[in-house]
Amino acid sequence: MRGPRALAGALALALPLALSLALPVAAHAQATANTLSSRLDPTTRVAVQAIVDSARLAKLPTAPLIDKALEGAAKHSDGPNIVSAVRQLSVELGQSKRVLGGGASTAELQASATAMHAGVSSRDIALLRSAAGPHRRVTLPLAVMTDLIGRNVPVATASQVVVGLARAGAHDSDLSMFERNVRLDIERGADPSAAAQTRARGVMLRTAPRAGTRPPGNQ
Amino acid sequence: MSDDKLFEDGVIERIAGELRDAERPSAGFDARVMASVRGIARARQREHRERRRLWNRVSQPRTITVRPWSVGLAAAALLLCASLAGWGAHAFARMESAAPAAASGGSQRVQFVLVAPNAKKVAVAGDFNGWDAQHPAYQAVHRGGGVWSVTARVPVGHHRYSFVVDDSLWVADPTAPRVVDDDFGTTNSAIVVEPEIR
Repeated sequence: MRGPRALAGALALALPLALSLALPVAAHAQATANTLSSRLDPTTRVAVQAIVDSARLAKLPTAPLIDKALEGAAKHSDGPNIVSAVRQLSVELGQSKRVLGGGASTAELQASATAMHAGVSSRDIALLRSAAGPHRRVTLPLAVMTDLIGRNVPVATASQVVVGLARAGAHDSDLSMFERNVRLDIERGADPSAAAQTRARGVMLRTAPRAGTRPPGNQ
Repeated sequence: MSDDKLFEDGVIERIAGELRDAERPSAGFDARVMASVRGIARARQREHRERRRLWNRVSQPRTITVRPWSVGLAAAALLLCASLAGWGAHAFARMESAAPAAASGGSQRVQFVLVAPNAKKVAVAGDFNGWDAQHPAYQAVHRGGGVWSVTARVPVGHHRYSFVVDDSLWVADPTAPRVVDDDFGTTNSAIVVEPEIR
């Protein structure tokens, strides 16, 4: 009989096709769940997974959230603390995306979220974005800003100094050297704020001719 | 021309008379109409029968004869689909957890160095290896004089990491930018890995 054979044939063709469409989605969710479940307790895993799913819907990078949870587990932090840290990072990534725009890379969003976590305001990150120009990545400037804050340079000073360097056209190599010099100065006993401001003036003197701007006066 | 004039000339009467005459259908008109009606009815019956046949085919139990090899073929097809789906999901998950690398393509070899004269074991854990202090590629080797180092590939992007001394002590890299990140009680270091310039 032709009918049942045709029906069976159609089913044999349609079923694997439907499965091949449906399985990747389910299997991906399962893969993420497996990564988390191998390190987190069930309650924490479910809470973290919910935050990750929400971030994915909001088109935010989810890898930093998973990494944050894994970091907490590696450092033997308790579940509520891990969930709180992941949630906070999710909020900071969302704010970073709003400030830096949809074209920002994952690295920039991560660096921005880390800077926000250190106390840098959205306004200062927007200022840096504007000072750096549209084509320049702000990952390293943000990492330097965060580092300065971590070395007890006041947030306002750290933001002002790095925004100024970006505006003066300092390259990533200039910023790396600046960061290293400030670190060495502080390790030798210098006041963090004074070290950052002094070293920034030095960088600006070198970069001003390159950027076609006047270096700051004798401060 | 006024209405009175039309009346007087009998124009209206003539028009009304023509309209009153019944339309005389041509010979065989009735037969053609009836044939058309019967045709429509037959088409509807045919359509109804097809629908009933189709419904009976899908709703009534029936025996389907299947050759053994076709069952094997179907099972193999299902297995292949499941494997492809699993592989796709695995690849996607890997891509997601190494998003910075995927975003800008590639990784760089990075040397991590820690001076720890009293350490028995030093490893690097960070978001590039899932914060796994046991990851074999990130175990530092003692080079003598208390200097430990490991060179490993790190995906392009912004990363947070820390040294793990003797499996228990988390130590920020003293030569790298710091991350003010006290979520879990220890300070991390930051590294920005740029794409290779060719």
